[in-house]
Amino acid sequence: MFPIVLLSVFAVVLLFLGFLKSRSVLLPATLLFLVAALVANFLDWNKTYLYFNSMLRTDNLSMVFTAIVLLSSFLVVALSGSFEDDEAAQPAEYYAIILFSLVGAIMMIGYENLVMLFVGVEILSVAMYILTGSDKRNLRSNEAALKYFLMGAFATGIMLFGMALLYGASGSFTLAGIASYASHAQQGLSLIFYVGLLMLLVGLLFKVSAAPFHFWTPDVYDGAPTIFTAYMSTVVKTAGFAALLHLLAASFTYVYSFWGIILAVVTAITLIAGNVTAVYQNSFKRMMAYSSISHAGYLLIGLAALSAQSRQAIVFYSLAYSIATISAFGVLMLVTRQRGMQTLSSNPLSNESFDAFNGLAKQNPLLGLAMATSMLSLAGIPLTAGFWGKFYMFSTAVERGQIWLLVVAVLMSAVGIYYYFRVIIAMYFRDGATEPIRISPVFRYVLVAAIILTIGLGVAPGLLQGLF
Amino acid sequence: MNTTYVPADYLPILIQMGLALGFIVTTMLVTHAIGPKRHSVKKDDPFECGIPVQGDARTPISIKYFLIAILFVLFDVEVIFLYPWAVNFKGLGMTGFIEMVLFMGLLLAGFFYIIRKGVLKWE
Amino acid sequence: MTEFLAFFKTLTPTGYLFLLLTALTVISAMGVVTARNPIYSVLALIATFFCLSGHYILLNAQFLAAVNIIVYAGAIMVLFLFTIMFLNLRREDEEAKTNLTKIASVIVGGTLMVMLIMIFRAKSSQLPVGSTVGFEPNTGMVENLGHLLYGSYILPFELASVLFLIAMVGAVMLGKREAGDRHF
Repeated sequence: MFPIVLLSVFAVVLLFLGFLKSRSVLLPATLLFLVAALVANFLDWNKTYLYFNSMLRTDNLSMVFTAIVLLSSFLVVALSGSFEDDEAAQPAEYYAIILFSLVGAIMMIGYENLVMLFVGVEILSVAMYILTGSDKRNLRSNEAALKYFLMGAFATGIMLFGMALLYGASGSFTLAGIASYASHAQQGLSLIFYVGLLMLLVGLLFKVSAAPFHFWTPDVYDGAPTIFTAYMSTVVKTAGFAALLHLLAASFTYVYSFWGIILAVVTAITLIAGNVTAVYQNSFKRMMAYSSISHAGYLLIGLAALSAQSRQAIVFYSLAYSIATISAFGVLMLVTRQRGMQTLSSNPLSNESFDAFNGLAKQNPLLGLAMATSMLSLAGIPLTAGFWGKFYMFSTAVERGQIWLLVVAVLMSAVGIYYYFRVIIAMYFRDGATEPIRISPVFRYVLVAAIILTIGLGVAPGLLQGLF
Repeated sequence: MNTTYVPADYLPILIQMGLALGFIVTTMLVTHAIGPKRHSVKKDDPFECGIPVQGDARTPISIKYFLIAILFVLFDVEVIFLYPWAVNFKGLGMTGFIEMVLFMGLLLAGFFYIIRKGVLKWE
Repeated sequence: MTEFLAFFKTLTPTGYLFLLLTALTVISAMGVVTARNPIYSVLALIATFFCLSGHYILLNAQFLAAVNIIVYAGAIMVLFLFTIMFLNLRREDEEAKTNLTKIASVIVGGTLMVMLIMIFRAKSSQLPVGSTVGFEPNTGMVENLGHLLYGSYILPFELASVLFLIAMVGAVMLGKREAGDRHF
């Protein structure tokens, strides 16, 4: 609750800070605001509250998810220093929209009422449409925004229809009310209830880009400015999975036999579609888009199994995934900017291909190390956080006895290793004319922090255990 | 408050709408039917003060109009929220007042932002 | 057919009104998607909104009916017309859809429709728990709506202002003409 209030106020303050002459105050102010929200988030630690007639819930799980979302946005915002040099950029608006969108994300994490979920999803989505199109003079950014908006609005419509049907069946918008209706599953529930659940799931699965609702992802992630792609692929995904987890665990455990198998099939399709298509990409950014689809698949394993371990597995995985993704996009931003200055080529496609990373590690050991760590973590190699994330996910599937899903997931992780290692090979074993890239101190801190967090969680995964 | 609202209460409105529609439709049909019709190239031409017709009526317009329109919709929706609040103003008491002040405060901040940005300025 | 006729005879005037409105709604909604001229599409959409408002009145939600006309049929349709003006559509650059997309969309839409119809026709043993017993006919009145909105739903209401603000900032950010942009 506190972060929501603080972030709304801070965002308005940021909007007006944008009228100041100097732009340099914006970035530190935003970072400060995010830290304040993070601190305020933990004020209720170890207590469970329901706010405003059971609209919003804060407990340890929601606080941990909120912390992950705030941490991810802190890292992303820290990497966004380049706005200061860009005349066309409107950093005050960008930061304000990021803070506003976090309000939506926190609503999606802590909702107890479907109305709250809907408003949260809308806030987050509208913010994302705007940020996707924020590079106004870039046609690809425009196209991505329009595509995302049209498809996203359609998905929201389906989700809203699902909520209406659930209300029609159960007579309640609250998760508890729906759960008490679902508890009569033995006597036969209304079919409307099942269709409502399906439609709600379709809407939310679209937002986390699970197959077969993933077609927007590559174009949108590719067209959006890289900094916002990093934001989108971490915060939106974490919030979406927190929302799905809470929805299914709080209301629909009684009808697991209905949606369990559906989600398992969706998981398998997502894993295969994401990983196999990622292999064929030549652009690093597109590869990351498909990789984010495949990670949605890994996260879905924990939902499809929904066992006692799922909560911990999803929290751990989303944290590991967010950190690795942000540092990978951070390095990509530095490399593209460097290449753009060298070749003066206006075609961003060539700057974002795998070849851009050739020989990067020789002149820029820190960038090489950061990228290698995050690639290893995304691939799920031991001693990185990603390994334990996958380990927990797979163990939830074992617990539920979904061995076929486990086999698919393991095979697809093997495919994943191929395309993640392409980057590492390009950086360490190929030759390329890369000069040392100037890294600003903030960038350096973020990358080092990401490396430490990834390795630290990989060595001692128990750090997060028992928190919630 | 009248406690027995039924949809049939709308019958007068329905009759009124029916009459209005009926009047328009009949007058249109009747004028078409009883008037003489003479066609010619000149007569069927769109009237443009004697200047020859050029191009398409649909030309691109400035984005400024759209921006104003979209901002209007936003504040329109906001104002609609005032109505159920005003009806309940006495019952909600001080809490209701503070709630609305918060809501309006955030939106007025947005309004102030728009003015400072100079969106409503028409060069 | 005889079954339908028998059902038809049992209806109250409200029932006839409902059937009439439903037929109008479906026809005008089909008009929206089948019209070749985008302007006709928008006009059909306005007709659809009016029919929906009629449904709201039948459900005793007068406030919603009025809001639907003011906001959707009024303000949002103006935005639609603006957008059509922006697009500058001409008949010749109408994009032809391949047969494959047409067939695929028919299959997907048809499946969804059949599924929904089957579900709503499901037999009474599966009827919703939320039955007509506790039905309060005045739920949709402004006064009750206000009580709910400013009582138990106060948090989503306040946070809706955040949504408005985002939309405002976004519209200004994306739509504001910068110095040096093309000017019509």
